[in-house]
Amino acid sequence: MDSEARKVIELGYGGNERLTMNMGPQHPSAHGVFRAILTLEGETVVAVDAVIGYLHRCHEKLGETLTYVQYPSIASKTDYVAAMTAELAYVSAVEKVGKIEVPRRAQYLRVIAAELQRIASHCLWLGTWCLDMGGALGGGATVFLYCIRERELILDLFEALTGARLLYGFHQVGGVRYDMPPGWDAKVRETIAFIDQRIDEYEAMLENNAFFLVRTQGVGVISRALAQDVGVCGPLIRGSGVEYDVRRAEPYSSYAEFDFKIPVEAAGDCYARYRVRMAEFRESIKIVRQALDGLPEGAISSRPGVKSVGQVRVAKGEGYARVEGARGEIGAYVVADGGPKPYRLKWRGASFSNLAVLPHIIPGHKVADVVAIMGSVDPVFGEVDR
Amino acid sequence: MSSPNGHRGLVSEALQLVGAVGRAMAVTLRNFFRRPVTVMYPDTPRPYPDRFRGLLALTYDKETGEENCIGCRLCEYICPPQVIKVEMLKTEKRNYAKTFTLELYSCEFCELCVQVCPTDAIVMMKSFDLATADRREMLLDKDRLHALGLQWEPSWATGNRLRDMQAPPKPPRGEAKADAGTAAAKADAGTPAKADAAAPTAKAAASESAE
Amino acid sequence: MPDLFYAAVAGFAVLNVVIVMVTYVTLLERKFAARMQSRIGPYYVGPHGLLQPIADAIKLMLKEDVIPHAADGWAYNLAPVVFLVPCVLIFATIPFAPGLGVADLNIGVLFFLAVSSLEIVGLFMGGWGSNNKYALLSAMRAVNQIISYDLPFVFAALVPVVLTGSLQMSAIVSAQAGLWYVAYPVVGQLAFLAFLVSALAAENRVPFDILEAESELVAGFRVEYSGMKFALIQFGEYAHVIGTSFLGALLFLGGWLGPGPAWLGALWFLLKAMVIFLVLTWVRWSFVRIRVDQILAISWKLLLPFTLVLLLATAFVMAWRGTGVVS
Repeated sequence: MDSEARKVIELGYGGNERLTMNMGPQHPSAHGVFRAILTLEGETVVAVDAVIGYLHRCHEKLGETLTYVQYPSIASKTDYVAAMTAELAYVSAVEKVGKIEVPRRAQYLRVIAAELQRIASHCLWLGTWCLDMGGALGGGATVFLYCIRERELILDLFEALTGARLLYGFHQVGGVRYDMPPGWDAKVRETIAFIDQRIDEYEAMLENNAFFLVRTQGVGVISRALAQDVGVCGPLIRGSGVEYDVRRAEPYSSYAEFDFKIPVEAAGDCYARYRVRMAEFRESIKIVRQALDGLPEGAISSRPGVKSVGQVRVAKGEGYARVEGARGEIGAYVVADGGPKPYRLKWRGASFSNLAVLPHIIPGHKVADVVAIMGSVDPVFGEVDR
Repeated sequence: MSSPNGHRGLVSEALQLVGAVGRAMAVTLRNFFRRPVTVMYPDTPRPYPDRFRGLLALTYDKETGEENCIGCRLCEYICPPQVIKVEMLKTEKRNYAKTFTLELYSCEFCELCVQVCPTDAIVMMKSFDLATADRREMLLDKDRLHALGLQWEPSWATGNRLRDMQAPPKPPRGEAKADAGTAAAKADAGTPAKADAAAPTAKAAASESAE
Repeated sequence: MPDLFYAAVAGFAVLNVVIVMVTYVTLLERKFAARMQSRIGPYYVGPHGLLQPIADAIKLMLKEDVIPHAADGWAYNLAPVVFLVPCVLIFATIPFAPGLGVADLNIGVLFFLAVSSLEIVGLFMGGWGSNNKYALLSAMRAVNQIISYDLPFVFAALVPVVLTGSLQMSAIVSAQAGLWYVAYPVVGQLAFLAFLVSALAAENRVPFDILEAESELVAGFRVEYSGMKFALIQFGEYAHVIGTSFLGALLFLGGWLGPGPAWLGALWFLLKAMVIFLVLTWVRWSFVRIRVDQILAISWKLLLPFTLVLLLATAFVMAWRGTGVVS
């Protein structure tokens, strides 16, 4: 095992005075509520102590008190930026344990929703990352507003589909809750064509920009060994040269029927992760188009519409299902005992595992790099603290 | 940022830098001439999609003018944050809701209560305009809920429509199946299912274990 | 005695003009930036936001002045004033039209450059006196940056001086009657470019605004200031930016020279200064910022040698031509 990967890096005492600075839970670029206690020598960070738990809302306990019918709406609040994939993890786990079939139309609708959600989530990622790097009064804010402008279009699509803009309650055990309204197909195609062009604009603004490159290349390098050892997932591990995507490794919800590439970069720095996510934009657009083209007719749920709170009962058993969320592998482990509620629900949050890499990669960088690295890790604290 | 190749590399690097800078500034300039995307709300009304999940309200029957709610409490049981509290009032002909309180300040707007209502009594409106200065005004009682139902336009989604949309297609019984957003998608207060045996049995179905 | 009186009146008038300009330039920047970001900017206060700066000024005057308990009294309280005075004093030497100015010194450019870099003192006093780690970090970065960029700034500004042969600002403008210095082959354009870049950095504007870096240091050395003290600091910053824009317009874009009658000259000067200001704003809203060590690297390894070589080249060109002495 790579010895460098095993120990947390702490630089030796350089003889300078050390300053402990708190990048506290209230901070413009903490991406949520996150406390990082930085030890600085001048401008260089020497050690990082990460404190989480400010957003703990007892999701796993709620999973035990709410039934299978009630919980999917709540599941969206773990990864609230990419709610569709979070709900998908939970219902997939329950369906796995209960061996419940999902009709093909529902699977395709789930894919469309998940990929549109990935586009929206990456829009938010790019906007907030540039905002952190460029300042609320500066170029970062410009990229942020452009990205939010595009994200609003996707949220409008979701609003036409489900009625809600951020936390949908779209999935249910056995399928999905809402079918496409008339005209939605055409609207989706139009929107993603428009966003495809706008992504070209973002790349023109950032791609060869010396300022951007100089802030992101060589910064926050996660070596391949470190990535595999710590267990990061999603764009972080694909940016470090490991071609691993749950949609390819363990295809769920008919992903095996779609043709898409898994973008992988070898450098492992912030720029590599940026390139991975930008490529994921394009791939998601491709998948949505394929799904719309091949959308089968049929039912959207294999069970009748929810009429009562205890309608779904799952026989004794346990199982783990994982999906590729926008931030990485989201998993739900459900232990069922025959009743309408799970006996135990355990969430595997993608951001929780991703944050574990911070004490390894931040020491040695400057304070300004801390925000660049945090942004490229893209944590959402609903997932971390649950 | 200095180049190791001497003057030739430095010049080409400088040119590349100028090009990149120019490209970024060109994007900003292009956006300068685009129309701003700002919607001057609330001076400009915002179009709501058909299925918008807004405020909750109770409805009256279109034909008879009676309250649709039969006090079956299905919405109370299914609500995840438990914001609905219902008391049933039994009469000979049919049941009513004696009291119906909904704590809108804690409501998650998940639409599950709408989903389970057998009589399409509770629906969501196409509006979210209920900002108040006092939180107690957001504790909606039955009268307030009925008033809201008359004040705003209801969303397309009612209990029966949602359940029809989700159910696996049954063999046609001479009744239009709502498969992908029906042609009759114009919002309606919902047909009372009183004549249908489904209403009273819905309560019994609450305890049936699903297949 | 009358001379002193005239000078005082002129100074007072210029100060008022500067105050009005600063307040409305903030509105101009906000509307300009908003349009680049697909939004509208201030709109509701007054027609199209025209009274927004007044509203902001009134708000800041009415705000409570919060002083941290452990702040260093003299340093903390005097810092805004010490920061503001040099930023406004630079306007004393700028002639807005032939004969219209407070003091057209024969070392005008030198005075401007020297005084404008005195703001560092106020900045550091603010950072230290706030008794706040963020403010201190920001002040240390600022001192680093401003000192590093003042040198290329001075050298770039000296190119027109060498081309003219005089430090007097009105003389520099008169010498551009034939050809603006920005149009001067190669040397003019490069000097203008270097001037813009170093001006951006010497004023802590994005992409060189590492000292305030909202997402890291939350307003930098200003973080503990509120109310009127904050207003003074903002005023000083914008006055400095506008002053540098005026200097750039004067040195490179021909000052008050322009078609039309002579009294229109001041208007041309204002327009040119606003053009430079808008270019700086355009750059500001297009780029992310760069790290402090990279900023310093650009200055010492790139800009300083570049401007030095440029200045020497200009001097050689002038000497070879045997021209350029205007008194």
